[in-house]
Amino acid sequence: MRRLGNPIAFAVLLVAVVAAPFLVSNYRTYQLAFVGLYLVALLGLNILTGFTGQISIGHGAFMGIGAYTTTILVVDHGVRDLWTIPVGGVVAGLVGIAFGIPATRFAGPYLALATFAIPLAFIGLLKRFPHFTGGNVGKNLPQLRPEFGWSTSPSIWFYVVCWVVALVMLPLAFFVVRGRFGRAMRSVRDSEIAATANGISTAAVKTAAFGISAFYCGVAGSLYAIGITYVNPDTFPIDLSILLLVGIVLGGAGSLWGMLFGALFVEFIRISWGPALLNLFSRVHHIDTHAPGSGLVVYGVVLLLVLYAAPSGAAGLVRGVTRRPAFLRRKDDPSLSDPGLV
Amino acid sequence: MKKTLLLVVVALAVTAVVGTTAGARSDATPGVTRTSILLEGTFPLSGPASGYAPIPVGMGAYFSYVNAHGGVNGRKIRWHYEDDGYNPANTVQITHKFVEQDHAFALVGGLGTEPQLAVRQYLNDNKVPQLFVSTGATTFDRDYAQNPWTIGWQPDYEAEGAIYGKYIAKNLPSAKIGVLYQNDDYGSDYLRGFKAGLRSHQSQIVTAQPYDLSATTPPAVQMAKIKGSGADTLVLFATPTPTIQAYVIGTKLGYKPANVFTNSVSATDPFLTIAEKSGSNIVEGSMSVNYELDPSNPIYNKQAGMKLYRSIMKKYAPKANANDPLNLYGVAKAWNTVQLLQKAGKNPTRAGLMSAARKMLFSKGKKNANPFLLPGVTTFTKGSFQYPISQVVVVKYVNHVFQPQGNLLAGRGALR
Amino acid sequence: MQTFFQTLTTGLSDGAIFGSLALALVLIYKATEVINFAQGEMAMFTTYIAWALMGHGSTFHWWAFFATLGIAFGGGALLQQTVIRPLERASVLTAVMATIALLVILNGLAAWIWSPQLQFFPSPFPTSSWVVGGVHISKQDVGTFGVVMACVLVLWLFFRFTKLGLAMRAGALNPDAARLMGVRTSWLLALGWGFAAALGAVSGMMVAPTVFLTPNMMQAILIYAFAAAVLGGLESPVGAVVGGLGLGVLLNMLGQYVHPVTSELRLPVALGLLLVVLLIRPAGLFGRVVVRRV
Repeated sequence: MRRLGNPIAFAVLLVAVVAAPFLVSNYRTYQLAFVGLYLVALLGLNILTGFTGQISIGHGAFMGIGAYTTTILVVDHGVRDLWTIPVGGVVAGLVGIAFGIPATRFAGPYLALATFAIPLAFIGLLKRFPHFTGGNVGKNLPQLRPEFGWSTSPSIWFYVVCWVVALVMLPLAFFVVRGRFGRAMRSVRDSEIAATANGISTAAVKTAAFGISAFYCGVAGSLYAIGITYVNPDTFPIDLSILLLVGIVLGGAGSLWGMLFGALFVEFIRISWGPALLNLFSRVHHIDTHAPGSGLVVYGVVLLLVLYAAPSGAAGLVRGVTRRPAFLRRKDDPSLSDPGLV
Repeated sequence: MKKTLLLVVVALAVTAVVGTTAGARSDATPGVTRTSILLEGTFPLSGPASGYAPIPVGMGAYFSYVNAHGGVNGRKIRWHYEDDGYNPANTVQITHKFVEQDHAFALVGGLGTEPQLAVRQYLNDNKVPQLFVSTGATTFDRDYAQNPWTIGWQPDYEAEGAIYGKYIAKNLPSAKIGVLYQNDDYGSDYLRGFKAGLRSHQSQIVTAQPYDLSATTPPAVQMAKIKGSGADTLVLFATPTPTIQAYVIGTKLGYKPANVFTNSVSATDPFLTIAEKSGSNIVEGSMSVNYELDPSNPIYNKQAGMKLYRSIMKKYAPKANANDPLNLYGVAKAWNTVQLLQKAGKNPTRAGLMSAARKMLFSKGKKNANPFLLPGVTTFTKGSFQYPISQVVVVKYVNHVFQPQGNLLAGRGALR
Repeated sequence: MQTFFQTLTTGLSDGAIFGSLALALVLIYKATEVINFAQGEMAMFTTYIAWALMGHGSTFHWWAFFATLGIAFGGGALLQQTVIRPLERASVLTAVMATIALLVILNGLAAWIWSPQLQFFPSPFPTSSWVVGGVHISKQDVGTFGVVMACVLVLWLFFRFTKLGLAMRAGALNPDAARLMGVRTSWLLALGWGFAAALGAVSGMMVAPTVFLTPNMMQAILIYAFAAAVLGGLESPVGAVVGGLGLGVLLNMLGQYVHPVTSELRLPVALGLLLVVLLIRPAGLFGRVVVRRV
């Protein structure tokens, strides 16, 4: 049972998830649904970056692949939206494996920068084949309709869908990282040479981790398309990939529970917390809350302050900053002779 | 330990969420109280499209002016806008907030083709007016039947393209045309209209070169090809940066076309001045179209509309640059919005607002023309004609001022 | 043949810009293993400072150019000491996040201070071209190439022939040993950031006349600089410059000659080629694969 995560923590989360829609407005419920889908994406990226030590700055593109899979299936082939969620995950996962096979040859920073190419290439391809993808104009999806004859608002139904998926994917992630494969991943992260000496195929482990993380992001992307009811190339900018990385660092790379904080940050910082902080400032000190760029400054400063307060993320803050996984230390740290990551 | 972390996180979640639980209101019309009407919109205040940020400032200045003069039927307009960074995913979430949490009466002036496409279905499903979107994409006017709650404002790109086509067919029947266009719906709307306007003269186009906005390198290769094609008339259907670059690269390549046509989005004095300062010698004499008063042209300074515009900006947006035509665009759009609100009556409803938008006539003849538009430009919709502003005048850039050439032209007429 | 030479000169000029920014990335990476995502925005911000020094005018002043280099140098060192140094003991990933935060802040701040509107930035070189055998060679392209290469040369001379340069190289190669030898590495890291910022300022001021001044002007260029740095090898300054030049020429040649490569696919194709290079040489063209011990 412990392999699927702490059951008490799960129970608390479950209660919170069930209670939330009754406590908050319709719009906040809609936002919390996005927290659920970001949680899925961050869990996936964390399996690759936090547990296997491979940094990716391109996983927003896998969300895009999931989103476009869903959109094309729903809009052009009339498939029921819910069924497309696993399909979106599988398609993204396969692309992830295909990219992972060559990419596992790249060392640390080279891999990170190579993954940067994924969203760029993805956006280019979307524009190149407009008959298939809708090009720049993109495609609109129909609003998600409640199933089982349940009459509730689309926002609440979307929340239910997102969190059911998230609550399946979370224990699954625990299962992955706590099993034999999880041990293999961590040994690749901590020392590739030691892992090889122990008979672990580092290439296979990295490729599989790439596939799993892409699968998670693909599922999240399907939900994203369903929630936004629209996709186009601007919906999956490089910023999204970077935001996902921000999410796992702030949550705590290598901690699955920490991803809850990461997901909250990713959803709320730009749309809610940033503007709220600006309004707060404007009461103390007169500033134009609509000045171009002011929102970005607040976002950046908050990000920086959170990094100072919790250099190992929310999880590290809780755990105490004393023990950090070896792979996160620098090369001038005498305990580590492996070249660092990024 | 893990559980503690979780509890911390959940506590954070709750604090992040609770506090803004605005309950549903019992008012018949959302966003309308006895003293106010709430209007909202999304605009890019960060990122690559943030150059458009003056538009909501101009709108706000005009609404403040109206409020200071008694408001609309005794109600003050509350104008609230937020930054979507031109990312449709943000536009959608903020729009949900406007509708479900703020209970806006209508969304006005939302900027950008793709962001507004992203929320069009949602707003129509929820019967919330998507009024006067800030984009010239033809679909927002043309597809009114499927989207009864959506309407554009400015002349659409297709019609503008048609004007250039018609002008060249009539005045330059032997010109050899080279076109540079952005290879998306924006550029292709223009190109489609251009060809329709040329009609039998389409063979005058000797080359049409696409460029990609995300390619990020200046359109040097395309300009070399246009030069190589022997085109003596350059037509630019591009966004500002590539337009300026095309002017500069043309000069670098020693290309000197006899005529240059530049679409109105990019043909503003600030942009063309940059092109000239950057060394382009083909800027002077560029042709474009316009439908608003031009703050940079002194011939309009005597117009009542221009005087009013400057006094409003001075009083209600003193920090803004009143010579920026984007501010005037915002003011002019806000003027039409206020007129419709007045038409919607003492107890305005969303449906009432839209039916006013579907059948409007603000013209010189009726002595109620929009004072911020060029003299004679009407704002008109009726029946199946849902293109609020469709008249333009051809302008020529001489000595840093766009001088009108001839009479008003009917953009949609040029297409037919 | 005419188009070939025209494309080549444009490519080399673009490439010089990519190369100088890539070199700035390599300087910081070699010293701290941190890929500085804010490198492009630092260049953008200092270009705005140069623009302000030139009185927002239309003539280029060399004194403002050199003053900006000084300001950039000081600013870069200051950023390292204030923003990056507190995270010295944190993970590399955390430090990279800090550079991302810096990217966001500088971008927003530039829009806030100077407005996001497109601005003209003067070039020190005339817009005219030399016509050699029918080939138009832009003076601006040649000038840009010359200035960037001169700066790279100066930097190389500094690292090669000065004591400080030697200390910095030692600090980058083996910080612990350098520290034991009495080199104050933290101070050297600040110097490294200073040099990188100054180099970025050069690329910003040279590219601004063609892409024009906006808060987002360096973002696309930074992506090319990343690619150039990877192509040449993140540990290799020479590689960064050569990688940048190669990438600039390659992109322009692809656009000119390979017909099916329409503009949307130019970037993906270039990146695809980059991946192929990495498969053959996993540490870039000029990088050495680090021999690892257990």
